[in-house]
Amino acid sequence: MMTKSIFRNILSVTPRFYRSTIRLLSSLSPIEYETIADETLESLTEAFEILLEKHKLPSDVTYSNGVLTVELEKFGTYVINKQTPNKQIWLSSPFSGPKRYDFINQTWVYKHDGISLHKLLTEELSNVFKKDKDIRFEACDYGESKNANVK
Amino acid sequence: MNSIQLSRGIFNRIRPLFTARVHARNYHEKVIDHYENPRNVGSFDKSDGNIGTGLVGAPACGDVMKLQIKVDENGKIIDAKFKTFGCGSAIASSSLATEWIKGKSLKEANSIKNQDIAKELCLPPVKLHCSMLAEDAIKAAINDYNTKKTKQSKESD
Repeated sequence: MMTKSIFRNILSVTPRFYRSTIRLLSSLSPIEYETIADETLESLTEAFEILLEKHKLPSDVTYSNGVLTVELEKFGTYVINKQTPNKQIWLSSPFSGPKRYDFINQTWVYKHDGISLHKLLTEELSNVFKKDKDIRFEACDYGESKNANVK
Repeated sequence: MNSIQLSRGIFNRIRPLFTARVHARNYHEKVIDHYENPRNVGSFDKSDGNIGTGLVGAPACGDVMKLQIKVDENGKIIDAKFKTFGCGSAIASSSLATEWIKGKSLKEANSIKNQDIAKELCLPPVKLHCSMLAEDAIKAAINDYNTKKTKQSKESD
């Protein structure tokens, strides 16, 4: 377990090996993926509900069959869903369009720019609710990458 | 027989009242147009030196796109063909992509963005991934062509 976490950290520092080994390291078993993805989405659903309730924005949050849909009346719709064959979470944002996230280092990361799903949501929703400085999706389940040393 | 037809007829008239609250998400007419009249369906010979082939997606995800470009000596795309396995939005996105890249230079084609495709076809949020895949397909085809050309020039040296 320890050596696996150390291995993981060393490789995340060497960009050349990052891509090829990602496949190995983020190879969750189907059951692991299902559990983690479900928890991630449930946690996000709750976070959205709380946030939108707080700001009384006309909106609709639904989560079913692995698809989280957040309709923000003025801005458009977020669709965040499980993509089981790829073991990914797919995002469609009304602000930044489609992205696909892989489970890396205990969080969901977009390989093209290394930005996590939760960080993106925090940025975008903070932009929507400019006065609210407390928006932090990273507090959700699997919202932040965990450093092996911290554990 | 008649009473069944009658009750079915009545039910069909009443049904819209029950389902009125549900959003009817229809395909946009542009997507339907591409689906019914797809442009540039087909294949080129993959081994031809002037052809670039991009193959993206995965059957398990429900979307596979093969997009091929024919490039002349000036680096201009003179023809494009596609074959897509997937939903109507995926087919429309790749069909539109082949339309757009024809006549463009490799550089111009590389700068086509998924947002443009999605906007043109008025894709709903859940189908934005199809336009992303089409952009990936274009880039993959251009990449393949460039790799081939680099290999060819190395061999001739």
